[in-house]
Amino acid sequence: MGAPVTGPAAPARRRRPVRPARVVLGLVLLVVGVLMVAPLVWLIVQSLTAEKAAFSLPPGWLPRPFTLDNFAGIDGLIPFGRMALNSLQVSLISTVGSMLVGVLAGYAFSRLRFRGRQAILLVMLSALMVPVQTTVIPVFVLMRNLGLVDHLAAVWLPALINVFAVFFFRQYFNTIPRELDEAARIDGASHPWILFRIIVPLSGPAIAAMTILAFETSWNNYFGPLIFLSSPQHMTLPIGLVTLQAGQGGSSVVVFAAITAVVVPVMVVFLAFQRSFAASIASAGIRG
Amino acid sequence: MTISLTRRRTASRPPAVQPSGSAGSRQWVGYAFLSPALLLFVVFVAGPFVAAIVLSLYRWDMLTPAQFAGFGNFTAMFGDPLLYRSLANTFVFASASLITHLVGGLLLALGVNRLKNKVLSYFVRTSLFFPFVISWAAVALLWKYVLDPSFGLLTYYLGRLGVDTPNWFNDPSWALPSIIGIDFWHTIGFTFVIMLAGLQTVPNTLLEAARLDGANARQTLWHVTIPMMSPTIFFAAVITFLGAFQIFDPIQIITPQGGPDNSTMSVVMYLYQKGFQSFQVGYASAVSLLVFAVMMVVTLLQFWGSRRWVHQ
Repeated sequence: MGAPVTGPAAPARRRRPVRPARVVLGLVLLVVGVLMVAPLVWLIVQSLTAEKAAFSLPPGWLPRPFTLDNFAGIDGLIPFGRMALNSLQVSLISTVGSMLVGVLAGYAFSRLRFRGRQAILLVMLSALMVPVQTTVIPVFVLMRNLGLVDHLAAVWLPALINVFAVFFFRQYFNTIPRELDEAARIDGASHPWILFRIIVPLSGPAIAAMTILAFETSWNNYFGPLIFLSSPQHMTLPIGLVTLQAGQGGSSVVVFAAITAVVVPVMVVFLAFQRSFAASIASAGIRG
Repeated sequence: MTISLTRRRTASRPPAVQPSGSAGSRQWVGYAFLSPALLLFVVFVAGPFVAAIVLSLYRWDMLTPAQFAGFGNFTAMFGDPLLYRSLANTFVFASASLITHLVGGLLLALGVNRLKNKVLSYFVRTSLFFPFVISWAAVALLWKYVLDPSFGLLTYYLGRLGVDTPNWFNDPSWALPSIIGIDFWHTIGFTFVIMLAGLQTVPNTLLEAARLDGANARQTLWHVTIPMMSPTIFFAAVITFLGAFQIFDPIQIITPQGGPDNSTMSVVMYLYQKGFQSFQVGYASAVSLLVFAVMMVVTLLQFWGSRRWVHQ
């Protein structure tokens, strides 16, 4: 691991005297990085280790003896596949739905004129200050009256409105030159055509950033599913994981296998879309 | 992030140029595009918010008919020691989170920004941000094992270093600090990314000018970089505080009863227990309005603060 550290110092040596500070900085950050990932590496290694050897001291950093049996044990404890499908269903519906609703509303606020436009926008914006905990009790009562408690719809329905996305899209659409869609208007194009053929294609980065953020939020959501879902076959993965620790007689290695099975796909997706992830966070920075 | 605050501010003003092409378009088109959002907003945001205010004036257990209580729930809040306890815990958590995130995030961003080695820089950025994309459920379960008194990873290595570790989550004086530490591990990547983005908006010309004028690294940092980053730092402070004030997931997962001696009971955890475990719906609604009040005050402070002492 010494190689990457000498790297930054080497070119500096040509111009100036050696910069030990830079080497120290590199080393410190290397240690920080290793410490950050260590628990995750430990998690994955234990989940791949045969039960009798797992959690040995000193901690093992290689899966010996290697096994995949722990993963086979998960389904005996929780309906993992069912929960994964539930998570996927909730995340896909709420993400696609909220993006569609957001794009339509963003277009209305950015391009169309109607009575009360500014007032409605202002009311929606001020709702960004209302935390989910304030609205969750009435929404729960509503869902109970609709008979939707313990149904996935209770989780994704409220997520269809993403006020932040509406505002974010409006801001982004405002930066797209109006001449573009005005020309199309003169040629007789309809508003839906303009939105989906001109505005949306020009808003790729904004839509990608929001989509990633919305999906990640929904996939990791714990509070909503905790309140609305109760039976195992209707639960999403985060809730399923936590019921697992509540003690169903499963061994710790199997719990680790389950956590790994939840975490690794997210890690892979993150590594693939790292740039967009960071961009989505940086743009989420607009939220106040 | 510098643009963000100015953008945000223009939001409340009408755009300078009204869309000229809209002269011919009729009103209903606007409402048509807006209707899905508006309907969902009324049903799931605005309506429930008003309902929360109404519910806070009642005593209701969701089973028997609700009884009007006036401001009874609010006056009861004043004499509720557990609410004070949860508020105190939440402020301790939020302040610790605020300080560690701002200092840690800024130092890490400054450090990573100086790294010349691409591989190392990629590794550090990735590993810092990794935990943030993982759900709290997985993180909380994992850390219960990392801090396990008998075979935990951290327990073992601290033991090797000669540190006598407490029984983290079962010790009233260590339960909340443990969660503060885990939160730092999970969330620092977020602050780090925001700080890094802000740092990269500092114009190089300014830094070079300062250097030509003979400023050393520390002077450049204090007199150029940090003032130029003040919108970002301020924004990160607000976001971190708001997020921390709503802390719930790790507390509910790791210490389902609110910790030993209520040492980890947070306001939202308390609200959850009142509303969904003991079914005191009216009282829980009153507490939820308290959470809203704090959010509102902090957000308004952001507007006020970003105008007063943030460099633009």
